[in-house]
Amino acid sequence: MPTHTQLQKIWLLSDTVLYGEAVAFMRHLVRDQGCNPLPASQVNGLLSIAESQRYDKLYEFVVHQRDRDWQPGKRDIKTFYAALEETLTNMQKRLRSDFHLLGGPRKSGGQDEADEQELMALLAREFIQHLVAENGLLAIRPEGRQQAPRNQQASRYQQQTGPAHHSQHRQTGGRHGN
Amino acid sequence: MNYETQVMLEISFEADEFYPQAAALGSHAAEALKDKHRSQLTGLENIAESAFKISDIMDYIKKQTARFSHWRHTLVRGENPQQGFGERLRAYLENDLAQRRDAVCGRLQIGDSTYQDKQKRRRIYLLLIRQFIRSMVVEYEYAVSAEKNERKER
Repeated sequence: MPTHTQLQKIWLLSDTVLYGEAVAFMRHLVRDQGCNPLPASQVNGLLSIAESQRYDKLYEFVVHQRDRDWQPGKRDIKTFYAALEETLTNMQKRLRSDFHLLGGPRKSGGQDEADEQELMALLAREFIQHLVAENGLLAIRPEGRQQAPRNQQASRYQQQTGPAHHSQHRQTGGRHGN
Repeated sequence: MNYETQVMLEISFEADEFYPQAAALGSHAAEALKDKHRSQLTGLENIAESAFKISDIMDYIKKQTARFSHWRHTLVRGENPQQGFGERLRAYLENDLAQRRDAVCGRLQIGDSTYQDKQKRRRIYLLLIRQFIRSMVVEYEYAVSAEKNERKER
């Protein structure tokens, strides 16, 4: 169980860091990369897994969706999950360094790993909830409804795995933090 | 004067300052949601009163805006005729009210670098949002009941 202090830290992170990053994440995919917003079926699936499952199950789901052989019309979904997987992996690295939710160096196995999994489940849930809310908003806006040309989409996966992808997320986003 | 009293005084001061904007958004809500969707506005008020996070309130507004066309209702006349109710509310909370939070924190000498200061800033922001939504909902209630009475008299 996370302590009250850890929960307060997570609420602060959710408001000041994750909200802005989730907004930037979705806007980057839709506006800059021309992806369609995530369809309702995917939103519901992702949200229910994020809310009910352990972090390892959520991560497994994200990787599974990324690695699926999507038909050409649904390549944007693959792009979304590839970017989400990268963000979650990075978030796990930030648990200690940026977020200071855990102290000391990472030890594998035992209580340390269980704590990490639990905290990651909470952070990922917050991030995904913000993603889903922004996704809904983008879906009703004109830029969210346009279909991007397919040739742009072919190279998206490779573009997103570059380091610029994450730094771009952090530089933009909502201003209500802090 | 102790810190809590100072905070409450600052929030009350800001509430008087932003009252015209809250009333304007309350009127917009009355035109958009009408009496029929009252529960959606009281739902927002309940979320604002019970939320631990500002982002929960923003997410709720976004979801309602995406889900219901009446949350996207625009005013024919107004400051920004293209902006629907939900977008207008969210923009106000995210931009204007964030500036008011900065002003309050400045007067209370709350910085933004230490963990304690960040938590204090967040709490002040949450208190401002709650106060704004309360005032907006009061205006909404007043506007819809006035319209109802007018209809009865006709």
